Amino acid sequence: MAISLCLCAWLMAAAVLLFAVAGCRRPANEGGILVDASVAPLPVRAGIETISFRLTDASRQPVAGARVQVEGDMSHPGMAPVFSNAVEISPGAYTAPLHFTMGGDWVVLFHIALNDGRTAERQIEVKGVESN
Amino acid sequence: MLSPAAEQDRLNEEEEFLAAQTFDLLRVPVIGPLLSWRHSRTLLQIPLFAVSMVMILDGLLGPTLSPKNFATVLTWVHFRGALVLVILCAGNLFCLSCPFMLVRNFMRKWIHPRFAWPRRLRNKWIPILLFAGLLFAYELFGLWASPWLTAWVIVGYFAAVLIVDGLFTHATFCKYVCPIGQFNFIASTVSPLEVAVRDLDVCDSCKTKDCIRGRREASSSLVVLQRGCELALFQPAKVGNMDCTFCLDCVHACPHDNVGILSRLPAGELMSDPNRSGIGRFSRRNDIAALAIVFCFGSLMNAFGMVSPVYTVEDWLRRTLHLQSQAAVLGILFTVAIVVEPALLLGLAAWITRAWAGVKNGWLAIAVRYSYALSPLGFGMWLAHYGYHFFTGLYTIVPVTQNAFAGIGWPILGDPRWTLVGLPKTAVEPLEFGFLLLGLAGSLLVAWRLAQDDSEKHSVRAFVPWGALCMILFFCCVWLMIQPMDMRVTMGAG
Repeated sequence: MAISLCLCAWLMAAAVLLFAVAGCRRPANEGGILVDASVAPLPVRAGIETISFRLTDASRQPVAGARVQVEGDMSHPGMAPVFSNAVEISPGAYTAPLHFTMGGDWVVLFHIALNDGRTAERQIEVKGVESN
Repeated sequence: MLSPAAEQDRLNEEEEFLAAQTFDLLRVPVIGPLLSWRHSRTLLQIPLFAVSMVMILDGLLGPTLSPKNFATVLTWVHFRGALVLVILCAGNLFCLSCPFMLVRNFMRKWIHPRFAWPRRLRNKWIPILLFAGLLFAYELFGLWASPWLTAWVIVGYFAAVLIVDGLFTHATFCKYVCPIGQFNFIASTVSPLEVAVRDLDVCDSCKTKDCIRGRREASSSLVVLQRGCELALFQPAKVGNMDCTFCLDCVHACPHDNVGILSRLPAGELMSDPNRSGIGRFSRRNDIAALAIVFCFGSLMNAFGMVSPVYTVEDWLRRTLHLQSQAAVLGILFTVAIVVEPALLLGLAAWITRAWAGVKNGWLAIAVRYSYALSPLGFGMWLAHYGYHFFTGLYTIVPVTQNAFAGIGWPILGDPRWTLVGLPKTAVEPLEFGFLLLGLAGSLLVAWRLAQDDSEKHSVRAFVPWGALCMILFFCCVWLMIQPMDMRVTMGAG
């Protein structure tokens, strides 16, 4: 019985440690750059779709002149990611074509390089892309 | 007509000829001596244990995006694919190098379990439920999309091993609990290699039976010098790969160096029904038959969860039954796919076999006997599915590793090359269909051999229902493979 208790104690200690470690994840949105993105038309279908997004800073002012690479990843590992460079259509407003190569849940990453040399990375989920 | 002595000589010559033709992995230079070394298993387990730790840490602390995390990439792309490919080309080498057993063996240096696994639970029903539960959780929680959940699955596995084998003697976890182990056991019935006796005559004259008893110190029977088989497989009576973890304890224990890793006919062990050490006859093991059925139909369900039509079916179920809960919808799908559907199909095939071919057994006994014939086809489907992810995502581990080094501020491997993915789909698709065809051929062959044994007069009649069932399942597999992939997380992946 003592052995079993000892084993349980070790396992509980390991679990507490793992929970503590898991709580140390990096925060998702440091740097103050906000991305307000949408994909059109809806519903999103596999194929080339347009991602439109606005970049704003912490004071909600448009961020103009940024270089943004858009990356699309499937939720399943092992699939080829897709990339596209965004074009600024008005100050702080950008669009990028993105080729959704298959149906399913996608995550779109925005790799942002600001004029002042700062960089940021944001992501949005595009769930339920429909197959053709 | 030969005299009995001459007949015996001829048989001996045939045996010697066959023995000379048999490939023995333990006789291969470098590999053989390495595997025969007493600590070979530990040597293989340590790297996998280290990788497991990296997967847990990266899953909990690393990138939240599944394609960029070790936990998800290694588990759902590389581990699964490598596992089925190694089983196809060699045998159950993943159980041999199981990192969970490394921790368990380490624990057992201090903690000696005292309890015997309850007799009532000495079967495969618990691991079958766990296996089905793992497949269900995979779909419900989208485990593939969550490094965090994947890491916790690995942690849970370590914890389960320590609890079960900390309390119960022998290899209880491997034999009666581990769902991955059961997958490996049933899959490796089609492997070309098997841990087996080199010369049965040597076993006949053996007095010590160390292969199952192990060796203990002469002065104290409590001190184990070398374990025997912890899964209760007595080498001279062992048949096939079922329940064999390739731990090689029997190889190390045998004082006559009479156990090898020998070549054999893949799936040959399914074609007959001898009394197997530690198992009994397959035809009397409803639980192992159920495992073979879940293994086969689970392969289809697992692939079905990744293609577009599953969402149409789910929507239809939701509307028709007014269901809100995704778990309930998926539960119904799973119940139909791995319980109701096999029960109907196998029941019908068994009934036809009984009525048409005049096989005397009851329909359940016939269904149990022939269910093993589905294993090769099920394995073909797992191979096609996991092989697809493995080959098309083969190189993804490179940018993930580059990214991990960059993430800890030590970018020695350069910037991650995310465009490095794997082999083109056009190259992998023929392989998928090849695997399916191989599985179909194996299943048809096993069913035919069983039918021949069951009814000399009407073997074709006995075979036709099972051949037809295999063909139906094969076309279902092919249909699934040509569907567009559509992977959606249905419930909160972290």
